[in-house]
Amino acid sequence: MSGYLEGVLVLLAINVILAYAAFLPIVAGQLNLGIAGFMATGAYISAYLTNAHGWLPLPAALAATVLTAALGLVVAFPILRTRGIYLALATFAFGQVVVATILNLNVVGGASGYPVAAHLGFPVIAAIAVVVFAAIYWLFHTRFGLSVTAVSDDELVADQMGLSVRWLQTAAFTIGSAIAGLAGALQAHHFSYIEAQNFNVLLSIYVVLYVLLGGTQTIYGPLLGAAVFTLLPEVLRGSAQWRYVIFACLILALMTWRPQGVVTRSLLRRLFDWRRPAPEAAT
Amino acid sequence: MSGARPILALEAISKRFGGLSVIQDLSFEVMPGERVALIGPNGAGKTTAFNLVTGVYPVDAGRIRLDGADITRLPARKRIRAGLARTFQNIRLLPHLTVIENAMVSQYARNPSLAGMLQPVSLARENRWRREAREALGEAGLAQYAQEATGGLPYGIQKRIELVRALLARPRVLLLDEPAAGLNPAETEALAAQLEKISASGVTLLVVEHDMHFIGAFCRRVVVLNFGCKIADCDAEAVGDDPRVREAYLGTETDLEVAYAA
Amino acid sequence: MLAQQLVNGLMLGSVYALVAVAFTFTMGILKFLNFSIPGIFMIAGMFTWAMLKAGWSLPAVVVAVLALGAVLSWIVERFTWRRMRAGDHFIPLVSSMAFLILLENLVLVAWGSDQQRLVLPFQSASARVGDLVIGVPQLVGLALAVGVVWALDLVLRRTRIGRAVRSIAEDADTATLLGVSVGRVVPVVFVIGGVFTALAGVLFSLNYQQASPFMGEEVALKGISAMVIGGMGNIWGAILGGLVIGVVETAAIHWFGARAVDIWVYGLLLAILFVRPTGLLGGGLAGGRA
Repeated sequence: MSGYLEGVLVLLAINVILAYAAFLPIVAGQLNLGIAGFMATGAYISAYLTNAHGWLPLPAALAATVLTAALGLVVAFPILRTRGIYLALATFAFGQVVVATILNLNVVGGASGYPVAAHLGFPVIAAIAVVVFAAIYWLFHTRFGLSVTAVSDDELVADQMGLSVRWLQTAAFTIGSAIAGLAGALQAHHFSYIEAQNFNVLLSIYVVLYVLLGGTQTIYGPLLGAAVFTLLPEVLRGSAQWRYVIFACLILALMTWRPQGVVTRSLLRRLFDWRRPAPEAAT
Repeated sequence: MSGARPILALEAISKRFGGLSVIQDLSFEVMPGERVALIGPNGAGKTTAFNLVTGVYPVDAGRIRLDGADITRLPARKRIRAGLARTFQNIRLLPHLTVIENAMVSQYARNPSLAGMLQPVSLARENRWRREAREALGEAGLAQYAQEATGGLPYGIQKRIELVRALLARPRVLLLDEPAAGLNPAETEALAAQLEKISASGVTLLVVEHDMHFIGAFCRRVVVLNFGCKIADCDAEAVGDDPRVREAYLGTETDLEVAYAA
Repeated sequence: MLAQQLVNGLMLGSVYALVAVAFTFTMGILKFLNFSIPGIFMIAGMFTWAMLKAGWSLPAVVVAVLALGAVLSWIVERFTWRRMRAGDHFIPLVSSMAFLILLENLVLVAWGSDQQRLVLPFQSASARVGDLVIGVPQLVGLALAVGVVWALDLVLRRTRIGRAVRSIAEDADTATLLGVSVGRVVPVVFVIGGVFTALAGVLFSLNYQQASPFMGEEVALKGISAMVIGGMGNIWGAILGGLVIGVVETAAIHWFGARAVDIWVYGLLLAILFVRPTGLLGGGLAGGRA
């Protein structure tokens, strides 16, 4: 496989992982605008472990994921006392603080960036993306998926029906953070160089937007969103900036005419239930 | 129903919102298997009383007991796990879940553990929880709506779905907030039949209602609230004669007669 | 030394204050965090540079850029608020984010990613007050910021449209029932926000003689912090918050270096969200204002 194609596929795999990192909290009603901060945490911790302590990249990525999860858990307690826009703002602020903190850590390169020696190839990263998808697929289809959706829809009812609202919100947030950390670790160890400035709020916004583009009603939406976002520049030969311009226009079009995203439950049903005519359902 | 203890007991409950006293020194008991109606003019505090019992907000004073156990400080989610379920006056179905999923939400209350949370309810079509929910919907005559989104459904259907949802928690006590409101006569009859079945299976019912016919036919006992206080607690037949009750409904005999005639 | 830092901080703060007012205005009235504001800030700064470079006179540049800000925010309203109010509440937020991306990348396409240096068509004068050096343009900026906010406050309190705006902030549905033409008033809210933001962009680029496609992200986004610190929906809070952020930033640079700024500015935002989310002056455009 050519180096270029491999790069694109790795990017796709990482974007898919990020998509699911954002997806779970969104299903739980949380807009995490600091997801890039968790990605940075995973990237830098794993890079530090392989660079400074000679760890192998895979165990380092795993360790970084666990530590990022711990950070997510710690941060979840104060942050999840807020709701809605306050929550989005708190995650945004947190993401900025994380990146700014890393910029000041000269041990990992500070503002000059951090080269990463150890390398993870496409097969490993692709395999991990598949595992993440499978894990989230399974989780989404357990009572957990049902329950976080319930919490997102109506916290009062969820509470009255016996669900542990705080626990569910914390779990969704923490798992999302962990997966973002994993994505960061993989990115660091494939592209061999990480820069704190890249893990900024705009990256978080891109991830959230392409997940919403794909659709959050089903487990397949994030996949589509990640694919569109990654492959758009390949399809249109233009410069990187034009790709973002078109992406932004896509989002605007979507929010105007189909805010629930491309892949919805009714769409899936229409595509796959062609054998049995389904009753006309609301979208 | 021998001298057993009450399955639900309110003991001198009080609640204020800001400066406004909404419930004052409210006490009554419900025995196991009873069907009790909670009535009163608008603003009497009936839904507030429900909210206090189910834990939406805490009482300012008094105690609530479920089968003898003090649940006054128990968090709401644990009350349904203990066997106390409810429906809502303004239907509160979850818009992003299908009908069957809405019903399934309360099943967790019967198995509130990590294992319970990780049950693969949507993975296999024939999962036992999903099957159970489908059967419950079928019993309520709602089987064909199982996969539907809740948003576009008729009001009467939505109300019945809420009832199924409450029932799937297998409660011992069921609090129903205006279950007949907005239903046409056919639906009201179907509701009454359904409630008969539920009561026959041993569930205690506490019903807030305005439809006195419905209450008269179904509930043996009536507790009357006005301005947050209990003003009567008697047989359904006798409640219309109670002078304080008549006075509560704006003192005009016509109002109560109109209510009976409705 | 300390006093000079304070002065510098206040001067910087006046820019943040204007952006914060724009944020707080839409937040307070429409309960909507308008992420396009940093985009408009950046457009204002970049166009100020581009137009000055093309030889336009300063007054013409200012007028044109303010008009551009107004037009852009009117367009944003059409695509965020107007279409989507009926749907989920996140839709306007997401659309405004799309606008930020759109504007930033259009500018990147047009002018590349370099930071541009402004050549001022006037002599940058400084006033001396004792030991303190105060840049005259910056002083003008501060006075302007306070002045327009004071004017806005008057408009909100004394005019019919101000009352209409406040009633929408209180309860949009009731306002409609009372005869307020929400569809006509909301664009005005956006346009006012857009003009404030554009003014901030002009002032920033003139005072610091720089403009870049990233100045929205780097500068204007801090306006969010200022907004929350002062109290969401409170325009005087936005002024206070802006000045606070300006001083905090300047102090942080002075004592901890430029790289530490975001830790302080956003750390403060985080702290306020946890400890006192209503901000220093409390929220609410409709009630409880100065």
